[in-house]
Amino acid sequence: MSTRTRLDPVLIEVLWSRVLSVVNEQQVALQRTAFSTIVRETQDLACGVFDTNGWMMAQSVTGTPGHINAMATGVRHFLKEYPPGSLGPGDVLLTNDPWMTAGQINDITVLTPVFKNGIEVAYFANTCHAADIGGRILSAEAREVYEEGLRIPIMKLYDRGAINQDLISIVRANVRTPDETVGDLYAQTSCNDVGARALLSFMDEFDLDSIDPLSHEIITRSEEAMRSSIREIPNGVHEHETWSDGFEEPILIKAKVTIEDEDILIDFAGSSPESVRGINVVFNYTHAYASFAMKAAISPDVPHNDGAFRPVHVSAPPGSILNCLDPAPVASRHIIGHFLPGVVFGALAEALPDRLMAPGSDPIWISIWRGRPRRSDDRFTFSLFQCGGAGARASKDGLNTTGFPSGVAGVPAESVETLTSMVQHRRELRTDSGGAGKYRGGLGQWTEMSCRTDEAWTVSAMVDRISYPPEGLLGGGYGGAGEFRIDGTEEAQPKRLLMLDPDSRVQLNLPGGGGYGDPFTRDPEAVLWDVIEGYVSVEAARRDYGVVVEYLGAEDQLVRLPEHYRLDAEATEILRTS
Amino acid sequence: MVGSAGNELRIGVDIGGTFTDLMMVGPSGQVEIGKVLTTPDPSRGVEEVLGQTLDRSGYSGASVRHLVHGTTLVTNAIIERKGARTALLTTTGFRDSIEIGREHRYELYDLNLELPRPLIPRHLRFDVPERTLTDGTQAIELGDDYVARLVRELAGAGVEAVAICFLHSFTNAESEERAREVVKGEAPEMRVSLSSEVVPEIGEFERASTTIANVYVQPLVEDYLHGLRRRLERIGFEGHLFVMLSSGGVATLDTCVRFPIRLLESGPAAGALAAAAVGTAMGRDSLLSFDMGGTTAKLSVVDGGEPLVTHDFEVDRRYRFKKGSGLPVRVPVIEMIEIGAGGGSIARVDSLGLLKVGPDSAGADPGPVCYSRGGNSPTVTDADLVLGYLDPDYFLGGAMKLDVAAAEASIAGSIGDRLGMSVPEAAWGVHQVVNEAMANAARVHVVERGKNPRALPVVAFGGAGPVHGYGVAELLGSTELVLPYGAGVTSAMGLLVAPLAFDFVRSHYGRLDELDWAAVNGIFEEMERDGTNLLVESGAGTDEIAHTRTADIRYVGQGHEIRVPIPDGTLTVGQRRTIYEEFDRVYRSLYGREGPPVGLEALTWRVVSRGPRPMPIGTDREDVTGDAETARKGERPAYFPSAGGFVTTPVYDRYRLGSGSTMAGPAIIEERESTAIIGPGGLVRVDDRLNVVVTLGGGK
Repeated sequence: MSTRTRLDPVLIEVLWSRVLSVVNEQQVALQRTAFSTIVRETQDLACGVFDTNGWMMAQSVTGTPGHINAMATGVRHFLKEYPPGSLGPGDVLLTNDPWMTAGQINDITVLTPVFKNGIEVAYFANTCHAADIGGRILSAEAREVYEEGLRIPIMKLYDRGAINQDLISIVRANVRTPDETVGDLYAQTSCNDVGARALLSFMDEFDLDSIDPLSHEIITRSEEAMRSSIREIPNGVHEHETWSDGFEEPILIKAKVTIEDEDILIDFAGSSPESVRGINVVFNYTHAYASFAMKAAISPDVPHNDGAFRPVHVSAPPGSILNCLDPAPVASRHIIGHFLPGVVFGALAEALPDRLMAPGSDPIWISIWRGRPRRSDDRFTFSLFQCGGAGARASKDGLNTTGFPSGVAGVPAESVETLTSMVQHRRELRTDSGGAGKYRGGLGQWTEMSCRTDEAWTVSAMVDRISYPPEGLLGGGYGGAGEFRIDGTEEAQPKRLLMLDPDSRVQLNLPGGGGYGDPFTRDPEAVLWDVIEGYVSVEAARRDYGVVVEYLGAEDQLVRLPEHYRLDAEATEILRTS
Repeated sequence: MVGSAGNELRIGVDIGGTFTDLMMVGPSGQVEIGKVLTTPDPSRGVEEVLGQTLDRSGYSGASVRHLVHGTTLVTNAIIERKGARTALLTTTGFRDSIEIGREHRYELYDLNLELPRPLIPRHLRFDVPERTLTDGTQAIELGDDYVARLVRELAGAGVEAVAICFLHSFTNAESEERAREVVKGEAPEMRVSLSSEVVPEIGEFERASTTIANVYVQPLVEDYLHGLRRRLERIGFEGHLFVMLSSGGVATLDTCVRFPIRLLESGPAAGALAAAAVGTAMGRDSLLSFDMGGTTAKLSVVDGGEPLVTHDFEVDRRYRFKKGSGLPVRVPVIEMIEIGAGGGSIARVDSLGLLKVGPDSAGADPGPVCYSRGGNSPTVTDADLVLGYLDPDYFLGGAMKLDVAAAEASIAGSIGDRLGMSVPEAAWGVHQVVNEAMANAARVHVVERGKNPRALPVVAFGGAGPVHGYGVAELLGSTELVLPYGAGVTSAMGLLVAPLAFDFVRSHYGRLDELDWAAVNGIFEEMERDGTNLLVESGAGTDEIAHTRTADIRYVGQGHEIRVPIPDGTLTVGQRRTIYEEFDRVYRSLYGREGPPVGLEALTWRVVSRGPRPMPIGTDREDVTGDAETARKGERPAYFPSAGGFVTTPVYDRYRLGSGSTMAGPAIIEERESTAIIGPGGLVRVDDRLNVVVTLGGGK
């Protein structure tokens, strides 16, 4: 396998599948050596390999689109600062500048150049969410990015193999979790090394001096496949808008999607201007979620690389909520960013009626808890990730308590309680929170927290869809609105940092997904099953679906089996036709 | 199992999807093999194949001392949802933990993905008043009356089994135990599994999921195993009946009935054990076991003579090969990566114009195009046939004729024409892409375990393993390929090399610097006592029992624990240093560098208790004699690009290749259930156990 004059489709596949296995090795190493719970339990990370042009060639299998795509554009910023030729073996770069990479100061990107015979041949990069980066505890409260923590411009983490000890000291002195934050930098560096080693041995084996020709092939073919999927959609202009609760006032998100032969233009003009609070989105991140949405909608099978972005052109007016300018606060940018796929799908619903998904709870709920256990000086800072219901699909119900568009995972109650002195009292599916539809939205969840402490504790909860629940698609109903309560009382301003009494209980009830299609066309048997399973109440079945279900058992009966329910077909027919 | 000194037989019976295989080892090490079609009640097939083999060799049922059995019963019962009507009892507020799951999409871009359906529907999952906190204190005591009332209703509703999973029961199991008493008091026939017994580890979702699966399959497993014993007794069997566990040990019926979930992957586990045993007999204690069948390939790493074991497993994956898409089961399982690459895997050109193989499979029905059973998508087997690797007239020993022309036409139509390649080029592409997919999966897996793939010999078996083993070994840069005798009964052989063994686990969290060593000593003593008792009950002598201790340890605050060996005997503060050093050694071998200067914390403590290893399988194969010349049965053109395309390749009869035979590749070696392909540059030698051992030209 040494001399090759052309890359035939078999060889490309062989080389390509090898590159994928290289980035998966990189990701596995990161997940296994990372310190923060966020990386290892919630998979809030991205890994990828880039060619010498800075084009993303391949990404690892998991992760979250906000990281993957933002990292992809971020690498170009790195290379602008350190153009090819300016780096040497043993150099490692990093930054957490929101405008350079993933739009949030907690997200640190580490980039490692790879050298073969002294020549730069590739870059490995990864982005992870640091446990803490100083400043305010992650929240939406800041009014400028300076309050949100320590900003690290693009600089060297390692210089020719020597760690930048000054930087490490500054980081350690500025963050609440020095061991975790710095430990993750080590993990991020060593996973790039794992990738680099694997790539070099692969290049040796196939006698390759450069991966650029392979990268070019893959990217070009991916772009071509993406374009051919776009050509199947009729040309047209589609618009949609939605609202987020915002911080102090609601935020309008407006998208205009133009299908033009084999290109797609997504313009967010008309969306709200920048917020004074930290829910602003840098353009990198806007681009990341908008292009993710298009790929998921039209060609989920095409590998994700630079080519998959090329036919998708995203724009948002500078100074708007989706293209905020330095020094806008950005810490909770995901709250707005996670709405983007839903808005894009809403716009395309008529053009692609059989493929899309209704809006779901969209932004993942991230709450940061801080407190001090009884008889201990060991304060905890804990990030809890929670997901509501996903939207219903064109031919399937929505997924219960599953994140979309983010791919992060939730946290087991036993982990929460082992790592903090909090007690979780409930984690249960929320009856009637799934939006009614021919296909029902996924259910959200009821959760409740307290803390075993003798002093005040705090929560900073980045939650949304409390005032504006997820709308349904093509006749589907709204998903259940989220609820944030302290001791049963609705909190008017949940996104601010809240001081809690030692014996407070906090209820976080996550939204359900929107429904898809007219609920009166849902199969009555499916509604009956939903009632048996407690997804839908008897009352909601009648009210929202026009399906009459009778419970035949005793009132005090604990075990309620399918045979204890009866579908009244006649009454249903009458309700549905009247 | 006790070393067989006397006139006794050891028998392994493995039930596969199509065949039930038997291997019998006689008193002087002689081997008999039996094979029948798997029957709808699989125990009937076992009785049948056993009866046949005993008759043929002139033994009676009474002369069988040990029978070890491997079965996929548990996996099938879960996939087909054929278990007991089961209810779940949880801490108030947590009945949905098995449905809420990880809240995570295992595939980012697929809008239509599905999550696994829990084994228990929501209307049979119940909150009960109870709350244990993380330190084991009981904030709310179990509501006995409520549980009693609930159980009466459940029994009335025909529920046969109850899984009980309370929060933090791995720290304090009192509430779960109390709940079991109440259940048994109200409904003595109800089967009950406690999460604190099945899998006392942190993580309510995985623990509940495992506990449910355990009790869900229990009635089925119990009926089956007791039925099997009765059948065996009918033919005079009086010996020990053991069942293979997923972890690679074997256990008695009683243990299996209590913890049936531990049988989950017992058939495939036996294959990896067999590969390990083949390696050990050759003096190779690290190797890669490569089992390729009709729909999947299974790879596992053997280190120190034993397959690696994992505790994270998933059953019934919605996306067959995607982690996160199945029901999690936390039991010790021989670590195998399974990928969608087998003889039946379908080849196609994807939207990028690239050649892809699998994971879709034509299976056995309709099967590859060349089977002429209605399959019309080209598969790996079709490509292998076109390349001359398979003999159309000697497939399954000639039992099935293969249609070469149809295979060629299909490869041309679906692949060659679209990519502008000739039929042999396209077929070679299929062969190469599937090999690459398997080699990549193997490489990531091996590297994850801190091993160097080039240093590992490949042991290939299964129907398609010997056809692809050479290519996979070459891609991995491995220098040795081993093709054990009897590729078709390898799993049955694996059953005979497993020691009697059982795994124990306890969670006890603590930083190493401030650990309560008395508590840890107590935990180890208890686990080792349980192990000894179980082994003695199963016939092992106390002096033959060995315990291996490990702990799951990580840097304070780090996410992933690594398994670290722990010294025997009573532990003291003084041994902390040893544990630190062991941790560093393992960490470095996994990640290639030291971790940060942070303390260590331990989470889980484990013991494996083992009886003696069985006698190695004999080498006495006097029936097989001959050298390469006498074994040569013909020649045919086979495709080897490095030799310039189709070259005339000698074909050898495996059953006439005695030990000491040698030859150089390219070569084809045929046996009934498989064909071994040796590429140009490979040097073949048949060792004294009749393994075909191929030395590859030092990688590529």
